[in-house]
Amino acid sequence: MTELVIQTKGLYKIYKKRAAVVDLNLEIARGDIYGFLGPNGAGKTTTIRMLLGLIQPTRGAIHLFGKDLKSEKMDILRRTGSLVEYPSYYGHLTAVENLEAIRRITGGPKSRISEVLEIVSLTKEAKRPVKGYSLGMKQRLGIAAALLNNPELLILDEPTNGLDPSGIHEIRELIKNMPRQYGITVLVSSHLLGEVEQMADKVGIIREGRMVFQDTIDNLVSTASSGFRLSVSEPEAALGLALDLGCEGVLRNQMLELESMQDAKIALLVKRLVENQHAVYRVEEQRRSLEDIFMQIVGEGSRV
Amino acid sequence: MMFRALSADWLKIRGKGIWFLAALGPVGLAAMQGLNFGLRYDYLMKSYAADPWGGLLENVLFFVPIALFLGITLVCSLMANVEHQLSSWKQLLALPISRTAVFSAKFVQAFLILCVSCLLLSISTAVLGIILGMGADQMPYVDLLRIGFVQLFAALPMLAFQLWMSLTLKNQGIAVGIGITASVVSMFALQFPDWIPLKWPLLAYMGPGEARVIGAGLLLGAVIACAGLIHFNRKDVD
Repeated sequence: MTELVIQTKGLYKIYKKRAAVVDLNLEIARGDIYGFLGPNGAGKTTTIRMLLGLIQPTRGAIHLFGKDLKSEKMDILRRTGSLVEYPSYYGHLTAVENLEAIRRITGGPKSRISEVLEIVSLTKEAKRPVKGYSLGMKQRLGIAAALLNNPELLILDEPTNGLDPSGIHEIRELIKNMPRQYGITVLVSSHLLGEVEQMADKVGIIREGRMVFQDTIDNLVSTASSGFRLSVSEPEAALGLALDLGCEGVLRNQMLELESMQDAKIALLVKRLVENQHAVYRVEEQRRSLEDIFMQIVGEGSRV
Repeated sequence: MMFRALSADWLKIRGKGIWFLAALGPVGLAAMQGLNFGLRYDYLMKSYAADPWGGLLENVLFFVPIALFLGITLVCSLMANVEHQLSSWKQLLALPISRTAVFSAKFVQAFLILCVSCLLLSISTAVLGIILGMGADQMPYVDLLRIGFVQLFAALPMLAFQLWMSLTLKNQGIAVGIGITASVVSMFALQFPDWIPLKWPLLAYMGPGEARVIGAGLLLGAVIACAGLIHFNRKDVD
């Protein structure tokens, strides 16, 4: 069994009248990039704040690195780097001074500051006060701060929020490299599936505080196929042939619309059509976009 | 742990005007007395002929509590604002450091800044006395030191309270408003009963019961600081 870096059991956070997080069971294995998804206000940030000990869960247990967060908080935080929502920084200080303020607390060598600035490519701007930075640079400084203490686990809450496409791309590349280059496990939250899809191995989708989907991204993608469309010279005859082969489908706009099927079966169908002198113009797989699936999961709250 | 947080805190308040404020208070008080004595030099020197240093200290004394309370209010708020401004609490408290260490470091930092102010008050009053031609050989070293530090110890409950409010309330208007109100009210402290803490700085310098008042200041300050610490430890950070 792979080692779980983050595990929560029956986690609840209830504010006066509103339940922000309900019965949440997170499981994140070592070396994973875990995409934590949900619409705004679904409870992602609340969950992340609980993982970092910033707020107290109403009920439930949190284990990081197999240790209980309540009793071994310091040891856990020593091994964790985080960026919660928009970056925190001291605007009147330079990037180096900001990181030095953190280094004085966490310890570690001074040389690490220039290392992390190098990783997020801020070396050139390091001596300027941070208040003059662009949002993308501030966000990268936030990631540098999270990396400062050589963490084994990186928790990033909406790291690409408010960035332009090139900034998003940069941060994504940065995150993708973390497990590969440094062996870091990453939890990254977002309200956009498209963004997480390109870097995560595993996703958890949360809606109104409840986990509604938790599996690999591949399994999520495999639910995306919804059938095939064939364009042929003689659609009616072709449909008869397809039905004889055990496919299910209908004729619509002179095109065959068939339910999804295995690769071997679609190959056989095409072969039969050709053998029977049909001209096959097009075979299209119809895919729902991941965004559609995401919207469906988030909308219905049911497992796909 | 606490010293690590403190060391980071010194870095964070750079360029925030806190040191300027800490110097402005005491130097301003001395400058005000310079004006007072400069304008009516002959009259005042005649009336304090027996003890000119004592006269100078007496004139300074009554402005120290209000300056001290205002200083406490503003220093606490400026320090806390460094963290509030860009919601740095979530980053700071997710670091491997206990909240107790963070809170204690802030308390120690505020206390040390105010100590510097008190020291500056002693020095600038001494310099003023010499400029006014009071004999350096008669300089009352002990009273010069006492005028700032003794009152600071008696004002520790106020420091603990202001720090607690400043650190836990994001809206600094509340903390500053209460602090300024207390400072203004403290100008009438002589008419208050002795148990009201706003009167303690004056009592700690003039008596009666100087030592007891300082003890009470330390004790009540510690109690309030502990309450603040417990609250800060349990608080959810948004």
